[in-house]
Amino acid sequence: MNNTNKTNLADNSRRKFIRGFGLLVGCSTAATLLTGNAIAVAMSYAPNADSTLTNGKVFTRAQLLQLEKICSIVIPATDTLGAAEVDTHGFIDNQLYHCHSKKVQHKAIAMLTLLNVEASNHFSRPFIELTSNQQYQLLNDIDQGKAAFNKQQRSEFKFLKQLICFGYYTSEVGATQELRYDPVPGGFKGSIPYKETDASWATSTLFS
Amino acid sequence: MNENLYINKSNQEYDAIVIGSGISGGWAAKEFCERGHKTLMIERGRVVEHRKDYIGENTPMWQQEHRGQVDNILVDQQYSIQKQCYAFGNTTKHFFGNDRDLPYQTKKGTDFTWIRANQLGGKSLLWHRQTYRLGEYDFNANKLDGYGTDWPIRTKDIEKWYSHVEIHAGISGSKENLPNLPDSEFLPPFEMTSPEKHIKAKFAELFPDRPLIMGRTAHLTKPTQLHISQGRVQCQARNECHAGCSYGAYFSTQSSTLPAAAKTGNLHIAPNSVVHSLIYDEKTNRVKGVRVIDNDDLSEREYFAKVVFVCASTIGSTQILMNSKSKKFPNGIANSSGVLGHYLMDHNYNSVSSGDIDGFEDEYYSGRRPTSLIIPNFYYKPDPKRGFLRGYALAGGAYRKGWQSQQHQDGLGVEYKNKLKQAGKWAFGLYAQGEMLPKFENQMRLHPSLKDKWGMPQIEFDVRFSDNEKAMMEDAAEQSIKMLKAAGLKNVTGHPNQGPPGLAIHEVGTARMGRDPKTSFLNAFNQSHDIPNLFVTDGASFCSSAVQNPSLTFMALTARAVDYAVKELAAKRI
Repeated sequence: MNNTNKTNLADNSRRKFIRGFGLLVGCSTAATLLTGNAIAVAMSYAPNADSTLTNGKVFTRAQLLQLEKICSIVIPATDTLGAAEVDTHGFIDNQLYHCHSKKVQHKAIAMLTLLNVEASNHFSRPFIELTSNQQYQLLNDIDQGKAAFNKQQRSEFKFLKQLICFGYYTSEVGATQELRYDPVPGGFKGSIPYKETDASWATSTLFS
Repeated sequence: MNENLYINKSNQEYDAIVIGSGISGGWAAKEFCERGHKTLMIERGRVVEHRKDYIGENTPMWQQEHRGQVDNILVDQQYSIQKQCYAFGNTTKHFFGNDRDLPYQTKKGTDFTWIRANQLGGKSLLWHRQTYRLGEYDFNANKLDGYGTDWPIRTKDIEKWYSHVEIHAGISGSKENLPNLPDSEFLPPFEMTSPEKHIKAKFAELFPDRPLIMGRTAHLTKPTQLHISQGRVQCQARNECHAGCSYGAYFSTQSSTLPAAAKTGNLHIAPNSVVHSLIYDEKTNRVKGVRVIDNDDLSEREYFAKVVFVCASTIGSTQILMNSKSKKFPNGIANSSGVLGHYLMDHNYNSVSSGDIDGFEDEYYSGRRPTSLIIPNFYYKPDPKRGFLRGYALAGGAYRKGWQSQQHQDGLGVEYKNKLKQAGKWAFGLYAQGEMLPKFENQMRLHPSLKDKWGMPQIEFDVRFSDNEKAMMEDAAEQSIKMLKAAGLKNVTGHPNQGPPGLAIHEVGTARMGRDPKTSFLNAFNQSHDIPNLFVTDGASFCSSAVQNPSLTFMALTARAVDYAVKELAAKRI
């Protein structure tokens, strides 16, 4: 399958990187580098299938379930996994807690509350209990700033979408299966062929 | 490396002490060591070993803590200034100074961003690696309009030293024969993309005096035997340079000058040694050595040498000089001219512009090119009609939009996901890099009472961009927009910004060279006018900022000054 090939590409590149090192500087230095990375890996957020079973660091359990649903609507599963399947909601909860101010955390919570309020106003149920079509309609309205939603709310939803995109496209699935990731390109080529079905590069620098 | 490379205490009188281990310090150490001089390199921070200590390197985003972003509380408490640097992130933060330990002041109503890199290698690990020679128009600029003092050197004095450092460091770029930007000793340039070639051709037709060329950068596009013998290999186009590069593909102290210096057996390094001041002997009118505060336990120690090279970064060097007070020099050592701390400059990056390019949708690039393109300063000849003095370069490049810019559009679901998966339209941007006039009133001084934890008086900055710099950036935005529109780009936008000085991290001046000891700190060989065995060879010595990124000139001035000092030592004049 296509996705597997892409994973192998990234793996092969990593192996190439380490092997290149071994030749250049001896295997012990190459191994040291791996040890360094192991520390980073241990500190990175590990996607967790059970993240909606308890309260998060910023969101309540109910809010995490709601966010999971929103993730699955914004970036659904196609021939690759979607944002909900890779626990983007759990990642966002952790990321908001560590890397964003209280003010931003409250804004994210307020966005979920707003969507619940509007769900109740229109359909007399909380967001999570709406049909898929109703959920999609509500998110589509706020995404375009129409119906019950104003410009300000539209831009706040765009911020939530940014968090979802960041979480998904910097995840292993997002970067290596949905998009293309090459840790060691080996050099820069100014022109290669591209067709519409090709994926774009996941990163342009160290800073995504 | 030899086992005794790192020392703590020493009674030895070295031939040379080099304060600092960044681009300038690394070059000074290499040149002294290779000429058989016992050299002590003093570094205020910790040791960073090539490869071993690049702990953020080659880590994909999903394996990075917080996917490369930095913990909020850590940033607030320890990196509130450093976070403003584009290169600050989770894989690089250990190479930045800690703002909690490194406080500084700015005069009320002014602002200055001071980016620090206090470890072995200094900012050579974090730099953007752009490397350009200064040209004759740059060396003449002060003399022509009267701002600042005349550079005491011209291209004929420094060109062979540029070649000397370029061959060792490895500079990629294209030979262009431009009147305002001398060529270097080049490795092959990075490739342009097709839209970049297209825009280059358009500019050549519409603005023949504004050529768009590949950025010149200290990357090994094609290493020579010399580079390979240093353990350096070809650039892999990862563009993750600031985390450190185990390939040694970009120039840093660790990849290039330090191994060369260490190989001679003449090098010692004293890490964790915060230089407090220079030890001055009034009888002989010589600097005897340096006083050091231990970075960790704050104990004091001294080191001695026949000659002292101050290469601690522009502001760091001048802070040490100002803090070295004696009966003869109550206002800072060797400061009989009174110019020490004055004429501080940075570059001005306060103009951005961009637009979309139609077409080329069946083309992409592979690899992450670690440099952009540049239109060298096209205002190198003064013109009173222009409304401001000096000029600017424009840098930028083309790229296809990815998820990072496409995520902001409307959309949900499969269609949105598929759109973000595809490479978007091509876009092209230009940002300005402008010269800042040398002015006496732009200065740094020691705060009368506030000190840091090592007992060093804190710096107070008093620096402003003047109306000249503001007018220049308004012109840069206007010209950029005009050029992008003329080249056929769509949705062109651009505007000047109001960022404070400092963030270009090209701070220069404060211990300037000059012909007259009454108005300058250093002579034409970066030697103190007042004290013959004292040299300052980093950015502090600059007479003007010019437009070019300054690091290559730090290298060349340093190598040249060592050559001179070695001859003076041999002749027993110092």
